[in-house]
Amino acid sequence: MPMPSNVKPVSKLPQPDSIRDELEKQAWIQNPKLANRLNNRRVDGQHHNTSCSESARRIKSWQDRTLLVIIAVLLVLLVIRAETAIAVEQEWGLQMTSDSGVFTELAIDTNIRLDITGLVARVEITQQFTNNGNHWAEGIYRFPLPGGAAVDRMRIKVGERVLEGEIQEKESARLSYQKALEAGQTATIVEQQRRNQFETRLANIGPGESIEITIGYLQNVSYSDFSYHLRLPMTFTPRWEPGRLSAGEPASAQSPAPRLIPAGSATGHRLKLQAKLVSSAKFAAIESRYHDVDIRQVDNGYTIDLLNPDELSDRDFELSWTPALQSQPSASLTTFNDGESVYAQLMLAPPLAESVAPQAREVVLIIDTSGSMEGASLAQAKAALLHALKSLGNDEYFNLLQFNSHTEQLFDQSVQVSQSSLYVAQNFITGLHANGGTDMAPALRTALTLPEIPQLMRQVVFITDGAVGNETELLQKVAQDLGDSRMFTVAIGHAPNSWFMRKAAEIGRGSYVHIAKPDEVEEQMSALWGRIQLPALTDICVDWGTSAEYYPEVIPDLYAGEPLWLLARLPSEPAIVGLCGNLNGLDWNLHVNGWDAVGSAPGEDNLAKLWARKKIEALEDSLMFGTDPELTRLEITSLALDYGLLTRHTSLVAVDKTPRRENGESLALTDIPGLLPAGNSTKLTGYPKTATGWLAQLLLSVFVLLLATSMLLFSGNRLPMTKTAVVP
Amino acid sequence: MLRRHWLLAVVSFTAAVFSLDALWIPVKAELAQHLLERAWLRTLAGEPDAKPWPWADTRAVAVLEVPRLGLREIVLEGSSGRNLAFGPTLVNSGRLELSSDRILSGHRDTHFSFLRELKTGDLLRLRTVNEIRDYRVSWQEAVDSRGQQLVIDDRIDRLTLLTCYPFDAAMPGGPLRWVVTALPES
Repeated sequence: MPMPSNVKPVSKLPQPDSIRDELEKQAWIQNPKLANRLNNRRVDGQHHNTSCSESARRIKSWQDRTLLVIIAVLLVLLVIRAETAIAVEQEWGLQMTSDSGVFTELAIDTNIRLDITGLVARVEITQQFTNNGNHWAEGIYRFPLPGGAAVDRMRIKVGERVLEGEIQEKESARLSYQKALEAGQTATIVEQQRRNQFETRLANIGPGESIEITIGYLQNVSYSDFSYHLRLPMTFTPRWEPGRLSAGEPASAQSPAPRLIPAGSATGHRLKLQAKLVSSAKFAAIESRYHDVDIRQVDNGYTIDLLNPDELSDRDFELSWTPALQSQPSASLTTFNDGESVYAQLMLAPPLAESVAPQAREVVLIIDTSGSMEGASLAQAKAALLHALKSLGNDEYFNLLQFNSHTEQLFDQSVQVSQSSLYVAQNFITGLHANGGTDMAPALRTALTLPEIPQLMRQVVFITDGAVGNETELLQKVAQDLGDSRMFTVAIGHAPNSWFMRKAAEIGRGSYVHIAKPDEVEEQMSALWGRIQLPALTDICVDWGTSAEYYPEVIPDLYAGEPLWLLARLPSEPAIVGLCGNLNGLDWNLHVNGWDAVGSAPGEDNLAKLWARKKIEALEDSLMFGTDPELTRLEITSLALDYGLLTRHTSLVAVDKTPRRENGESLALTDIPGLLPAGNSTKLTGYPKTATGWLAQLLLSVFVLLLATSMLLFSGNRLPMTKTAVVP
Repeated sequence: MLRRHWLLAVVSFTAAVFSLDALWIPVKAELAQHLLERAWLRTLAGEPDAKPWPWADTRAVAVLEVPRLGLREIVLEGSSGRNLAFGPTLVNSGRLELSSDRILSGHRDTHFSFLRELKTGDLLRLRTVNEIRDYRVSWQEAVDSRGQQLVIDDRIDRLTLLTCYPFDAAMPGGPLRWVVTALPES
């Protein structure tokens, strides 16, 4: 509001907006000095005018708005969480670099051979490429691998040159690599540098030259909903890389000229697939989800071929098969005789779920509430516990234990499931919080030595991240105190101590599940519960008739819906394999005649390799129980070389075997002996969360702090300066 | 007027608390390393379960050094959120001595902020109780943690450093990870 500087302000005042203003005006007219004083007071902000002037109102609303913004920012700070960036796509196939740029070539033909034995599939993929450019190129071949698979068989043909892989002891692999390099040959030690991916480099691919790449690896078969599943990714679709360079690689000077692959020109990108399912048991159903297949029953199992000879490699291949169940457990025997020893696979199929009488159980739940469980882990563990409580039947008994530095048990003795006991347990679970150390031994002992309830089978469900240092000691305690109980382990978090958890379940004749993410609680706990609710056959024993070396050494119970898989090495063909156990509370016996066994053809030595793989696993496990590391290393190395397995002591080395062609010899190609990775060494885990966001929080809150305090300070003499025009 | 003053005062106070809370993270990260350094010396001296502080649920298992950057970090066992606040952690649980595929993870804005400065060929030195191993950075890449899991394969001899990516993202909790792979120097 512009104030007059002379004695006659009246006329300059725009519409007076209140009686008070009117009165003031009168006063100014009567006493100009008073007008001055009033004016000064106004400037000092001491005069509180009920009606705000135009500009003051504007400023006030501006301040209010800022205040609102600040509060909003603070709210955002409270619920800070956001997805940051876009996904990084990975190009698969053969990426070639030449003078004309970088381009990824699509496989012309993809040839897949699948060999499924028990719960493991041997996959061999051959892909053909052509350098369609007019220049010599250098290639990088990338292939996506399923988790835990390691390439152990490799052959690359570029024109006339052949690069092939061979299993050697680690040191000698290194030596042959050096030697080849010195001799001017191309060589590579095949190491999976990057996770989930196979990658190899090829030099000097001539224009128009064809490249054939064969790799072999092993993949685990998954089991869910009463059937087995195997999925092969067919991500061999072409994609242009307009100058995208892999991080970490030096930026190359040439920028690739974009070249387009016409859409729909998929002709030539054919898929050929041949699968073999080795089993003497009948399957209720074999299905291929995305492809039409021809299924035939042969001597030692089934063969599966694609019906369409011109099938394109544009979608994944998925095979599932369901074991046929009877009212009694049934066994099937497959053997392989290598002339020296006989390798046998025994699959024990459970009876139909309807023919299993539910056994009365006492379920003891143990939860780890040590400091390492804090946060998401504890939340998942609680969810898993609540899920377990919900799944309990009315006539069952249960108890609940928590432990950190101390062990606390909910009931002195297990109680029957009732509304009130469940209520007490739920309250107990909700009140849990994580703190302190991990003293596991007393909790395990308490759970395993609770007073027994006659006629009940005790199942201990142990929920933890397994962050302990004294695993061996703990496992020995479990073995000691176990008695007739069964132990099931539920691993929580992105990186649990899976070795310990798996081993504890193995010793406890139970099973092991892993909950990595909160959304997996439901799925994994249902899987566990589905498995352990109906123990079909317990206390299983096997008599091979001769001295046999078989794995797993401790035979778990057979649960409704999930077959049991045993691998053995015997000195000679078995005459009769005797099985015994406890079925629905009664003794159960089964004899499998040796001559009923289905033999593998010579050369199909998967059984031998799988057995060796199990043996190496057992040897690696034994390290934890104090066997001599040097002796174990020697034993594993010699097994790995005998059976052609990739282990931590053996590597796959590939040397360019291109002969010097002076004397015009033709190329003699020998197939690489069958190789399989070995050991239980591969584990899968999630990625930890590794950002605190403290800097953003600090900057934001300091900004808010400065803004708010300065507003607080300045609002003291906050009134607008536009009124300062005062008479001297 | 008075009401606004109150609000401003409350906002200032809250903002101050948030600032201190944010500042506490790097301060804690630094302080913990000092305590861990002492625990590590005790571990080297043969104490079997040397806890850095009495109520700790973890222990120092290794020291990671990057000579080019003059860095030294004590590595903790168990990759839980709580441990990550104190130092880089070992993702493989237990048995560091028996595992050859070693994975360390750390916060991108505290202990592992140096990952962005690593170059291919850089020397990484990992000291454990029994040995000192040298690795060379051979590969660096960003991966999406939603689509894949981390494979720990003890048939392979390597050291992997993991942290969140992008390094400058304002908000934590993104799906991307920066993965640095280093192979042993032969």
